[in-house]
Amino acid sequence: MALPVDITFDAVDVDFDGHFQLHDINWSIQFGEHWLIAGANGSGKSALAAVLAGAGDLSGGTLTGLPGKVALVSYEAQAELIADELKKDDADILDVISEGTPVAEIIQRDTSDPDLANQLIVQFGLTPLLSRAFRKLSTGETRKVMLVRALASEPDLLVLDEPFDGLDVNTHPMLLEHLTRIIKTTPTVLVLNRIDERPEYITHIAWVEHGRIEQQVNCADPKAVAELNQLLHLTHTSISLPDPDPIDRLPALDPSKPLVDIRNASVKYADNVVFDNVNWRIERGEHWQLTGPNGSGKTCLLSLITGDHPQCYVNDINVFGFQRGNGETIWQIKQFIGYVSTQLQWEYRVSTNLKNVVLSGFHDSIGVYTHSSDAQKAIADQWLEILGMGHRANESFNQLSHGDKRLLLIARAMVKHPPLLILDEPCLGLDDMNRRLVLALIEKICASGKTTVLYVNHHAEDKVAGIDQYKNL
Amino acid sequence: MGTNYFNSLSLREQLEQLGKCRFMHLDEFTEGVDALKGKKMVVIGCGAQGLNQGLNLRDSGLDVSYALRAEAISEKRQSFKNASDNGFTVGTYEDLIPTADVVLNLTPDKQHTSVVNAVMPMMKKGSCLSYSHGFNIVEEGMQVRDDITVIMVAPKCPGSEVRAEYVRGFGVPTLIAVHENNDPNGEGLSLAKAYAVGTGGHKAGVLMSSFVAEVKSDLMGEQTILCGMLQTGSLLCYDKMMEEGIDPGYAAKLIQYGWETVTEALKYGGVTNMMDRLSNPAKIRAFELAEEMKDIMRPLYHKHQDDIMTGHFSSTMMADWANDDKDLLGWRADTAETAFEKQAAGDMEISEQEYFDNGILMVAMVKAGVELAFETMTDAGIIADSAYYESLHETPLIANTIARKKLYEMNATISDTAEYGCYLYNHACVPLLQDFMKPLKSDVIGKGLQLNDSSVDNARLIEVNDAIRSHPVEAIGAELRGHMADMKRIV
Repeated sequence: MALPVDITFDAVDVDFDGHFQLHDINWSIQFGEHWLIAGANGSGKSALAAVLAGAGDLSGGTLTGLPGKVALVSYEAQAELIADELKKDDADILDVISEGTPVAEIIQRDTSDPDLANQLIVQFGLTPLLSRAFRKLSTGETRKVMLVRALASEPDLLVLDEPFDGLDVNTHPMLLEHLTRIIKTTPTVLVLNRIDERPEYITHIAWVEHGRIEQQVNCADPKAVAELNQLLHLTHTSISLPDPDPIDRLPALDPSKPLVDIRNASVKYADNVVFDNVNWRIERGEHWQLTGPNGSGKTCLLSLITGDHPQCYVNDINVFGFQRGNGETIWQIKQFIGYVSTQLQWEYRVSTNLKNVVLSGFHDSIGVYTHSSDAQKAIADQWLEILGMGHRANESFNQLSHGDKRLLLIARAMVKHPPLLILDEPCLGLDDMNRRLVLALIEKICASGKTTVLYVNHHAEDKVAGIDQYKNL
Repeated sequence: MGTNYFNSLSLREQLEQLGKCRFMHLDEFTEGVDALKGKKMVVIGCGAQGLNQGLNLRDSGLDVSYALRAEAISEKRQSFKNASDNGFTVGTYEDLIPTADVVLNLTPDKQHTSVVNAVMPMMKKGSCLSYSHGFNIVEEGMQVRDDITVIMVAPKCPGSEVRAEYVRGFGVPTLIAVHENNDPNGEGLSLAKAYAVGTGGHKAGVLMSSFVAEVKSDLMGEQTILCGMLQTGSLLCYDKMMEEGIDPGYAAKLIQYGWETVTEALKYGGVTNMMDRLSNPAKIRAFELAEEMKDIMRPLYHKHQDDIMTGHFSSTMMADWANDDKDLLGWRADTAETAFEKQAAGDMEISEQEYFDNGILMVAMVKAGVELAFETMTDAGIIADSAYYESLHETPLIANTIARKKLYEMNATISDTAEYGCYLYNHACVPLLQDFMKPLKSDVIGKGLQLNDSSVDNARLIEVNDAIRSHPVEAIGAELRGHMADMKRIV
């Protein structure tokens, strides 16, 4: 069972490989306290949480009382594990296709109580996935594996960075209930972008800005909480969408035909069926929301449209007038699409700067390998302004926080005002302000009349005006 | 088995073929994949190269399917699942080969003779056979039917990277060649170019070479610097550290991950950048060690290149193939028993810079091996571009496999041809460096120089820097890396 915790930060400075610093952190976590760390994207809230798990180099002050066994679940940890798995594959000089580590092994590595692990595996519905390769799971499934692994390790301190993001409607309350049950013995620190989503058991809030804890609020003090909420709900100034590329480089589409017509589609592997018998016809100007539990195949269905899924060639799919599998190239399809997903964010692993990431949207590439026009560069600058990153155009993309990366990839998807904009859980990892900004941008692009939007999300409150068609998997 | 093709050529022809290598310009690829449009491409072999090249070709609008042996299909072996899970048509040789316009042989070297003998009688008149390595044609002397066009398209990266770069909208450097004896309609080059475009290679740079140049340089690189030097270096460095009382877990870790870390610097900025990662005194020390090793090892590099040129290497190895790989398997088992292989890496933290600071000898070994292999190849008539790709460019890829699973796994996973050559090199090189190793201490491997004062003589530093920077591998390296970087950082 967990030991009493008494963690004290005394004027602590932490450096993260020179890319980011936390400054002058004065903070203590006592047994019985359950903290929420909150702050804007890029403020350092995830960095602060990671310090509890041993990340970063202490460059000043003293930090005492960190327990030995800390479990951390975060986007960064998730991305690192995925990157490790990809690296095993990348490194493959041999002519063999690497299968990757199975889920069961990933969970077992840290498990202290096999019975608890088994119970959690069942609760989270991971049983059918145990023998599957970790890196082949969907975003939501990967997140569940990380959570089960952390919970089953029975840590002395549990640090969960955005644990609810990307979980389907059934899993969310179940996790909350589990947390509420274990907090008596296990101190937890949560990081959330949305303060209003904090569980009732949270006792304190640390508000982080520019790498410092700016406010510490005791939740028993309603006045302080109200002030913090007010700070969060400052509305952003009204925005307008930057113009599209003045030169229309796309071939004309036949207005009488649907953008997408998928008939009787299935995706199957030798040992499992992802979905079967799916029909979906998307007319121009019809904005859709796609729903379904984690692992139901939402991302997979969308990748049949984008051409990223190899089985698009064995299904009856017509996109933008191309009946797939008749000698069209993948670039002829992608030119009509703007796309953002967690998958893309994991794959966007090239060393390049922020402006290039936005520009790559004009070329449908990851990184930039061809010249952009002056007009395109000017448009990229406008997008960076809207995101509040105008002065950071030359910074390195790899070193951004998860939320900032996500914002840039959304701009990349929208930059060319594509005929079809596919947003697969675009708001994952965004703070309240940026989420509102992104939703406003989506509404504007829906209303522009030129772009059709496909939208996936799990948050009922992230409604977008203009989206009125629903498809459930 | 046929006779060695290279040995059947006159000296004039040999020199001409060895010296064939030209970096192609992007505007030579304006016809895209047109030469292959509407043609039926059938891949044999569904490993990492076979599958990933096929995925790229299909996404470039080409018609790709996979021919597998009947047993592989009926037993649903991994190769069958790889192809069918990715939505490809899969059939037996009999089903697919007779309809193929282009047959892509992407099986391991050792299977080439039996695969080509099996499919050749079924191939359409006037069709094309493509290889990604020329051993079968050049060393085994495979005679392909006169009406068939024979080409080579060889991406210079592992299969998974061939795919990942394509998906990003880029590609990997690729070598293409046409077998002059088999180009009946003169269409070999246009087919090879279209194939390179289909895999995305044209965006990262294509080298127009010959079967001969590819084989003779590929064999040389893999057995000397790429696998041989790293194996010999691992064993010697580990034993030295044990002698010096370094913690075994630390020593194993320094070596296992050290090659990858130091050659990463090589990948980005050549030998110059790798050496620049050392402090000035350490750089001078590494330079001197490398010079000494180059003098000692030069005759060995010459012998390897000579045996490759005369065909002695390949005939010795093929004799072992015929003898059920007795030598190869024995040597493989010996590798598993070495002290380095048996010691697990410790769980201490080693920073990126520490791998350089405490691995001065390893840096020196990489420098010596890369430069010697490059010099020996170019002296033998191989063009600098080829020699660069087969030495410096591929070293980080092999270092990466050592980082993952050490020597045994590296050897088990590289081609049998590379592995056989690696052992030959190692058996000769370990005793050769014995006297050189004797006086060395932990300052060059394990602990670092630990100087209080890192001052150096200006004149000596300038001399050393000049020597490093003016080596010919640096000039061609800067140019070829520049082609890739131009495209990567175009804005």
